[in-house]
Amino acid sequence: MEPTYGHGGINFIWRLGYTFSGLKRYDVVAVRLAGSKVMLLKRVVALGGEWVEFREGKLFIDGKKMDESYVHYPGNWTLPPRQVDKGSVYVVGDNRNMPMESHYFGQTSLSRIVGVPLW
Amino acid sequence: MVKTKSLAILVLLGVMGSLVVIYYFPSDTNKVKRRFALLAQWASKDPDEKALATAQKLKKIGALFDEKNRLQVPSQEISGTFSREEIVAFAARIRLAFSQLHIKFYDIIVTFPKEKKVQVTLTARLTGKWPSGENVDETRELICTLNKVEDEWLFSEFEVVEVLKK
Repeated sequence: MEPTYGHGGINFIWRLGYTFSGLKRYDVVAVRLAGSKVMLLKRVVALGGEWVEFREGKLFIDGKKMDESYVHYPGNWTLPPRQVDKGSVYVVGDNRNMPMESHYFGQTSLSRIVGVPLW
Repeated sequence: MVKTKSLAILVLLGVMGSLVVIYYFPSDTNKVKRRFALLAQWASKDPDEKALATAQKLKKIGALFDEKNRLQVPSQEISGTFSREEIVAFAARIRLAFSQLHIKFYDIIVTFPKEKKVQVTLTARLTGKWPSGENVDETRELICTLNKVEDEWLFSEFEVVEVLKK
């Protein structure tokens, strides 16, 4: 999630962040990677039922090019369109200036979303 | 004073007795956890490991596995059933790819879905170095199954949980 959040930094997660409102596009969320302690910070770019795609580093949702002002290190990723399952969201980190194969991103179940960073 | 001393001795004997029972007659849960500790110990590799030590560790790894094993690693497109010998060869290839390798298991949750079978959910952390000197630090959630064969818990299934699917 660099440069928005530094690698290995400490963040506090608000677990009740989505108690009263649902997830929205561009929200930064904590995804439970393993056990109860290992988390990833990622940004929600697509919601359940939407089609997500990358063309030459640009994000497209349902075929429409999206504005990603938070991406300071763009890349040239190309990913064919895929539909996000219901009950899932598609999350990506902000640091795109790395090979797509090395970047840990993709569709994740809503049950894996733990909360939102407090700042 | 004598009463206090006697009480202290009794408590000490009780604690020691409990420890002996736990050590010599471990529960199935502790036996399963011990299998993971052994797997982590033998799969790990120091930079100056000798060939003989490597061969011994691989043999010991093989003894931890059942005759048929199911592996599922979606990110590497690995899915299938493998013999014990294939698992050992697989472990040998992985260890060879690293100049240094350390595996640790955390958050071990053991459940017994049926007799002589145990399912374990855990966190696996792999740290090490490629021969190029580049560091590796990967953490994943695993779901494993072990079968009880002749009073030994043997690994029979390994699945890396796919949290993010591209």
